[in-house]
Amino acid sequence: MSGNKSSGGRSGQLGRSEAKSGLLLISPTAIFALLLLAAPLATIIAYSFMADGYLTIIPQFQICNYIGTCSSYEMKDGVLTAAKEYKGVFSDPLAQTLLVRSLGVSMMVTLVTVVLAFPVAYFVSFHVGPDRKSLWLFLITIPFWTSYLVRVFLWKVILGYNGVINSALLGIGIIDEPITALNYNVGAIITTLAHAYAPFAILPIFVALEKIDRSFLEAGQDLGESAFNTFRRVTLPLAMPGVISATLIVFIPTVGDYVTPNLVGGPEGKLVANLIQLQYMKLDNYPLGSATAVSAMLLVAIVSLIFLFLTRRYLRGPK
Amino acid sequence: MTFSADRSTMIEFRDVHKYYGDYHALRGISGEIKSGEFFSLLGPSGCGKTTLLRTIAGFEGISSGAVLIDGKDTAGIPPNKRPTNMVFQSYAIFPHLTVAENVGFGLRRDPRSAAEKSRAVDEALEMVGLKGYGGRAANALSGGQRQRVALARALILKPKVLLLDEPLSALDKKMRELMQVELIKLQRQVGITFILVTHDQEEALVMSDRIAVMFEGEIAQLADPETLYRRPNSRKVADFIGTMNFIPCEVLSQGMDTIEVDAKGLGRVTLSTDQAPPPNGKESPVVGLRPETLTLLYPGQSTQDRTVDGVVDEVIYFGDMTYYDVYIGGTDVEVRLSMRNVPGRPILDVGTQVQLAWNPSALVLFR
Repeated sequence: MSGNKSSGGRSGQLGRSEAKSGLLLISPTAIFALLLLAAPLATIIAYSFMADGYLTIIPQFQICNYIGTCSSYEMKDGVLTAAKEYKGVFSDPLAQTLLVRSLGVSMMVTLVTVVLAFPVAYFVSFHVGPDRKSLWLFLITIPFWTSYLVRVFLWKVILGYNGVINSALLGIGIIDEPITALNYNVGAIITTLAHAYAPFAILPIFVALEKIDRSFLEAGQDLGESAFNTFRRVTLPLAMPGVISATLIVFIPTVGDYVTPNLVGGPEGKLVANLIQLQYMKLDNYPLGSATAVSAMLLVAIVSLIFLFLTRRYLRGPK
Repeated sequence: MTFSADRSTMIEFRDVHKYYGDYHALRGISGEIKSGEFFSLLGPSGCGKTTLLRTIAGFEGISSGAVLIDGKDTAGIPPNKRPTNMVFQSYAIFPHLTVAENVGFGLRRDPRSAAEKSRAVDEALEMVGLKGYGGRAANALSGGQRQRVALARALILKPKVLLLDEPLSALDKKMRELMQVELIKLQRQVGITFILVTHDQEEALVMSDRIAVMFEGEIAQLADPETLYRRPNSRKVADFIGTMNFIPCEVLSQGMDTIEVDAKGLGRVTLSTDQAPPPNGKESPVVGLRPETLTLLYPGQSTQDRTVDGVVDEVIYFGDMTYYDVYIGGTDVEVRLSMRNVPGRPILDVGTQVQLAWNPSALVLFR
């Protein structure tokens, strides 16, 4: 027994020193992450509870950037005085509309992206020979070789008034004048974002499909199910972790996207990120912009958590 | 051990060939598996035994020939429409389902009520010794338990044929021996035709009514375990099943009922013709002798059998048995023999002069 005790003590010491060296190992990355992620986030959260001065931020705690009415302060005769009034995020109908629209557009983008990505991932995983899979994955990442901005402009070229689609349809005589409904609307945003985020959705689904033991599919058929029902009862549930990752990977960043709605969204396609940009840049109201950003972040977090809660049964790992 | 011939045929292979590109995986398999039989496909890896099993399940198409199940040609019938179920080598227990959901997987279109199905699942679990495990996550099971779940999942559908693809290879030795006995009992209980694929000759001998030994896509011998062990029809089969000593010999004369050979170290022996399977003419002739048919004579012992002098070259102690490698008859021919270790019987040393007893009826002639 005493032998056990002493060895237990040794392993305990070993564990502590391992933990220490582990911390030491990750510390450069941890410090980097702290400076570049946590610090800006903390700053934005702090700003969102402060008051807006002229070209400054007044460190005075208030929650009216979220709810209620705030005043912007300006220097008048050397004294800070309340000037314009503005409404907080959840008291402003425009901010509410844009938040809801952003969430809606992101959900649509996510749905379209994941639904289109699944067959691609399935094809590469199940119908491409093992020696060709890397080639296919490589081809899928080719769009990443050009900048995001260039890809968005490309869609402008494809969907525009004198764009590729309209020219082609005019050329073969299907339409007499260009279709204007292609560009500058929510549909154009969804098309552009779905294309931009496709690899992010394909890869996690592909990985999940690759992990499925092929004998599960044979077992499904052996037990009397058709290929389709085997897919429904075996393949799809086992691919769900990949689908869930894909959903979150697409949904979370697209809510905050402002380049695509700005370039192809048109007047009806402005999203919350465009509002934040406006508040920061044009209105020079950092506290309100920060409050809008934090609100959008909270909403994304809440929606993501609800989604994870609803799909939790697919994520239970080996017990 | 011999299987009654009056049983009906469950599986019939008619000159089955299978090619993978240029590779000829199955080379003209013909044979019958009887209803209610415990049948084994035995062979080294790559011999085509798993491929043959998968042609029955419908996972592999065949290039030519026919596979009949219960008299019906299976050509074009998909796996889900065949009266067969399979226990996979990996068990293929669905990780996203509970034990009960796994066992009940194939019952979706069963017309019975949910309560009846649930009772059937409980009964199937009880049959394989997993009563009360229904609510557990499939991932939480040990290897042996997974295998039982796979068995219950297949047997609950009452297939005509149960296919077992190396089901015991992933288990440790103790568990494997336990499951061998349980599988035999289960097969007798349910009366379904079992077809087992294995590379373990001992497992095949223990479990099967009949065994097909396969090499390179062909059935080398199809027989009951005792015939296979005592009268292998080729040196290759003899070598694969258990241990056999091969002693070079010369065929002196061939009569109607007897063959006279001169075996090196043993001398002249007269064999009956049923001790000599048809010659293949490829190898120089040898006589085969199992280790347990040779006996060491201890001082004072006498025998009716023939004897030969020898020198112990190697001693291998196994606890219950000791194996001796012995040079016989003053030649460089070495034979292995096994002796049970009973009280009062000493373990001999290397170099001891010994006398071996042997019986001509235990010999098999390969030529």
